[in-house]
Amino acid sequence: METAAIQTHGLTRRFGALTAVEDVTLSVAPGQFFGFLGPNGAGKSTTIKMLTGLLEPSAGTVEILGQPFGAGALHLKRQIGVVPEGMALLGRLTAPEYLHFVGRMYGLDRETTNQRTQELLEFMQLANETKKLVTDFSHGMQKKLALAAAVIHGPKVLFLDEPFEGVDAIAAGMLKSMLQGMINRGATIFLTTHVLEIVERLCSHVAIISQGRLVANGSIEALRAGVASTLPGAEQEQRLTLEEIFLSIVGAGGTQEQAQELSWLS
Amino acid sequence: MAFIGGADLGEAGLNGAGGLGAPPASLAGGIMGTLARAQYGALARLRWRMFLNGLRSNKGALELGARTFSLLVYGLMGLGLGTGMGIATFFLVSRGEWRLLPILFWVLVFLWQAIPVMLASFQEQFDLGILLRFPVRFGSYMLLYLVFGLLDISTILGGLCCVGIWFGVAAARPGLLVFATLALAVFAAFNILLVRAVFAWIDRWLAQRKTREILGAIFMVGLLSLQLMNPALYQKRHARHTGPDERVQQLREAEARYAPVLKVASTVQKCLPPGMAAQSLRHAVQHEPVTGLESLGGMALYALLVGGVLALRLKAEYRGENLGSAPARVKAASGRNGAVAGSGIQERKAVGLRGGSGPIAAVIEKDVRSLLRTLPLLYAIGAPLLLVLVFSGVFIKNGAAQGPMFPLALPLCMMYAQLGFTQVFYNNLGTEGAGIQLYFLSPTPIRTVLLAKNLLHAFLFGLVALVAAVLTGLRLGPPDGAVVAATVAWLLFSLPCNLAAGNIFSLRMPYRVNPGRISRQRGSQANALLSLLVQLGVLAMGAAVFSLCWFLDRMWLATPIFLTLAMGAVFVWRRVLGNADGLAYQRRDALMATLMKES
Repeated sequence: METAAIQTHGLTRRFGALTAVEDVTLSVAPGQFFGFLGPNGAGKSTTIKMLTGLLEPSAGTVEILGQPFGAGALHLKRQIGVVPEGMALLGRLTAPEYLHFVGRMYGLDRETTNQRTQELLEFMQLANETKKLVTDFSHGMQKKLALAAAVIHGPKVLFLDEPFEGVDAIAAGMLKSMLQGMINRGATIFLTTHVLEIVERLCSHVAIISQGRLVANGSIEALRAGVASTLPGAEQEQRLTLEEIFLSIVGAGGTQEQAQELSWLS
Repeated sequence: MAFIGGADLGEAGLNGAGGLGAPPASLAGGIMGTLARAQYGALARLRWRMFLNGLRSNKGALELGARTFSLLVYGLMGLGLGTGMGIATFFLVSRGEWRLLPILFWVLVFLWQAIPVMLASFQEQFDLGILLRFPVRFGSYMLLYLVFGLLDISTILGGLCCVGIWFGVAAARPGLLVFATLALAVFAAFNILLVRAVFAWIDRWLAQRKTREILGAIFMVGLLSLQLMNPALYQKRHARHTGPDERVQQLREAEARYAPVLKVASTVQKCLPPGMAAQSLRHAVQHEPVTGLESLGGMALYALLVGGVLALRLKAEYRGENLGSAPARVKAASGRNGAVAGSGIQERKAVGLRGGSGPIAAVIEKDVRSLLRTLPLLYAIGAPLLLVLVFSGVFIKNGAAQGPMFPLALPLCMMYAQLGFTQVFYNNLGTEGAGIQLYFLSPTPIRTVLLAKNLLHAFLFGLVALVAAVLTGLRLGPPDGAVVAATVAWLLFSLPCNLAAGNIFSLRMPYRVNPGRISRQRGSQANALLSLLVQLGVLAMGAAVFSLCWFLDRMWLATPIFLTLAMGAVFVWRRVLGNADGLAYQRRDALMATLMKES
């Protein structure tokens, strides 16, 4: 049996009395483009932090490429790339300086780092911004740089926390093709985003987390079939969008009614 | 009734406001209008809640204890300075030494402006930028900016000095009481506005790459120009011993030689606020109230001018200018993309560490770049050198280096130079910001990152120590060989001590340093106070050994003692580095939460 790229068992994180993530068990196969969805505050970023070693689980286990993730998992860290929630950028460096630094922190030699830095800057359309400090970048440019930094060492597993937020349509298209290329070469991608259209287009499998608990997990087709089976006979024939699946599983009841209550907004 | 998530909107003040389209009527009021007063109250409650919430954690309680202690220390410092100023004023005013009185006011202006930078890492400041999202009037914004400024160290110390001067004047000439009160109040207002204006504009310049580089260059040139002072000082050191009559004669000759310059300087300073403050008192004593009031009015005009300059800056901030996104260099032409990227990499190669491609070299290169773009840290490191130059003057008497403590001048100057590294040693992750995540994501152990930082800081400290030693040597003459050896041995002991403690403090109680600002830094009182205590402990051990060996007239003995202590310190430093990953991972949540804070 093939070792899962990402495997969690009973993953739980508590902050005092609050349980942010509870008993999350999931498995992501190698080469899979996996979408991890959930409403705001559902526990997506907390889960990614635990999967990437930024946060210690209160309970449960994490294995990446078959290896447990602990403080000493330095060899494992070489094989993963991350765009975390805070982007992990260093504002007082220029983009080439930052990529150069990251490459060397991941153990690349100077020549390889230089070459990849130049290629990534050109690919991300940041090549004409080499004199600007990262702190002076727009949010979208910072996102592109964070993504470049996450892939500079050629990771086998890539964790992306909202990578398309603030990125323009042209750059988003390029990023999508780059990520698809990585998948074609055998990498595994774990993606969280609120743009469900992107997930629907790129991901083969999704998991949905709500209030810290995993409420759905499987291929998009399987989830579509599962949700359709709960609908009345005539509606079962419709092809549900991921948004409809998501709303059906997470539950959007009451929001429109509540909005109508806010009569003073008009 | 409308509600969201169970919260009654009526309690939130929206009830009956007539909807979002109708702004509250009180918005029309001035800076003391109903809305403004409600906002002041809300801000006061916010500060109070932040204070109470801070007490919920052990760290918060520690911060409060440290802050209380710091306030006491600053209060005592202020009382000491104020008493000194008061006594000096009393003698000058009662003896009618009006020519010398402006010197006191100039010293006070210098202190008032220099203290905020010297103690930047020892005070926490509240950034009022958070108010800009609310409907706060500009007048209210500026008023709050000034009111919050009244609680900082420079104002406390400067204010106590003004009180001291007031007592000095009142004791010497009770008739001047009212005039002195007026003059000192205007003088204090000028200083408060000046220090705020200077730092607000420096922050603005630091936010732009071009001006930041210019300021950095000026700073470096300033530091290097210290060397130019050496030849003059060197000549002075070799001046032969003179008797009292000869010295009087030399003074007269010097006065005659520099008389034109002194005359111009005296005239110019009379037109500036410190000179005007002294002038106003002088004219009041000489029963020239109109001239005195003219000086007072002139000082008030300066205060208004400086206030206007500050208002210009604050107005820009108030209009939503974001310092972090200040315009940078003009973009290169799109057709030059490849060439620009290539040249960027060439540039990197030029400043890279030769032969070093590992993480240690990467961290050192990155930190050197960051340091060169972080003026507050450069200032903190470089400023003690200037003061070493001044401080070494303590050992010069009658034109020559001597005095009972003279043999210990070199180690004392070294000890002082080390203080500039407090923020660098004890908060070595403070400038990382969101980049701290990278250290936990990358396969490089945290101990390697800290080792690289320690190596760079040790090198920088070595450099500063060398410059300080050269300055001291040129000023006071070459020290005794045994003293040099003992000083080097003491540095070998104190450096690993500070690095080890600094690594622990950096992981346990870090605070975010905004590299683009000198003022309005957050800081950590607990870190500042405890790091100072550790430094004082190391200094006290050094002082004890030096004093003992000096007393026994066996200075050579200090070297083996310090070397033995240094071996212990290096052992402790290595242990701390060895345990750094465990501590860092144990504290990673708090570390990231603290260093990634926006403001």
